[in-house]
Amino acid sequence: MKKLEFIYEDGHHKWAVVARDLEKPGFLIDTNEYLVVNGSEALLADPGGMEIFSAVFSAISAEVDPCTIRHLFASHQDPDVISSLALWLDFNPDLKCYLSWLWGSFIPHFGGTAETFVSIPDEGMDISLGGLTLEAVPAHYLHSSGNFNLYDRKAKILFSGDVGAALLPSGEDGLFVENFDRHIRHAQGFHRRWMGSNAAKLNWCERVSRLDIDMLCPQHGAIYRGEDVKRFIDWFAALDVGSAIKE
Amino acid sequence: MDSTASQTGDLRRVVQANEVIKKVIRISSGVNLVALNAMLIAKRSGERSRGFAVVSSELRVFSRKLEGAMTGLGALIFELVRDAAAMRKQLHERHHLFNIPAREQQMREIMEPVLARMDERMHKTRGQIGRDWHKLRLQLNRVLQLCETGGSLARSAKIEAVYGGDMSATLKQVANQIEETVNEIFSTLKLLRTQLAE
Ligand SMILES: [Fe+2]
Ligand SMILES: [Fe+2]
Repeated sequence: MKKLEFIYEDGHHKWAVVARDLEKPGFLIDTNEYLVVNGSEALLADPGGMEIFSAVFSAISAEVDPCTIRHLFASHQDPDVISSLALWLDFNPDLKCYLSWLWGSFIPHFGGTAETFVSIPDEGMDISLGGLTLEAVPAHYLHSSGNFNLYDRKAKILFSGDVGAALLPSGEDGLFVENFDRHIRHAQGFHRRWMGSNAAKLNWCERVSRLDIDMLCPQHGAIYRGEDVKRFIDWFAALDVGSAIKE
Repeated sequence: MDSTASQTGDLRRVVQANEVIKKVIRISSGVNLVALNAMLIAKRSGERSRGFAVVSSELRVFSRKLEGAMTGLGALIFELVRDAAAMRKQLHERHHLFNIPAREQQMREIMEPVLARMDERMHKTRGQIGRDWHKLRLQLNRVLQLCETGGSLARSAKIEAVYGGDMSATLKQVANQIEETVNEIFSTLKLLRTQLAE
């Protein structure tokens, strides 16, 4: 069963994760959903696939009133990211969904109307959450061609979408990365195959290494903390991506 | 619950119920603390408050039972969310299937069994949601009954406090605390029952 766990708390400003689900059927990729709460307003980052909607919804409802969720953030267009959109809109038709302009006419296939979407331009934008500023940080081509991370300067948390993702075997169920070298083996194949551009990758590494980050939170697998954040960025910078298919 | 809202799986309604349940869970964790406090005070005042000690240990049993019953309510909410979400999903799917124009005989023949299967699935889900609400109401009644026990324990505590000698005032204070907490739970749950009956 999915469960909501708080990873950052400073008064009314909180980050929580609905972490991967150990009981979920193996044919669905396991995902993390992140909830940013500021007072009576919340944003859900990568709300997840339609099949896991009820699990995510229940997990959130157990701790937080889901009526407070006013914004969705979709890092990109994948079904594991946002195919639950129609069900979220059923629950709250006034929800706003932040999304790369590139996918503006694709995502409505999952639900929503013209009023639902807020287009993020390629250079990114600020998103206000009850007075708190979140930043949509460009991460194009990693892996999607219209792709954003979400940075909270105050909490020093970067939600990195598929960047940093690891497909962990059962038994490696921790919320956080505990042993970087062991962990990263499960991230290598994913990044080599899914990430297509070395230039985009280096550009991302350069920009993100200048941000103050305590936690780097991917959509799949465990969260990188402290020194492991820098370790990950260095590892990623050195990795030859777009190289997983043999000639 | 035969209203259309529950049949289509109104998540907002489930959420409303869940928010009340969460509130009660918060209050009931208070009962445990109050009961523990009562036991400690009774222990300190020794022989004079034996009766009070008995009542407060009963109260701890009550708070544990209440906790269990509330967990049961939480699990039922989880089932409701699951089935309500399934219903919404099926409604969407049906809507899309229904939009296929079936003017020609051939098309009708293709679509009819598909829609029939869809309707059968929705019928099942609707039935399931009805049963979920029913179970939720039954469990709620069980919790309310349990609260009656809590109420009579609070009254006993008040009576026992009178025999507490020089500790009487303190014990009375604790007994009042117990009564207040139980009453708060009781009225909150009653409100929920009225909400669910609407
Ligand atoms: Fe993806
Ligand atoms: Fe993904």
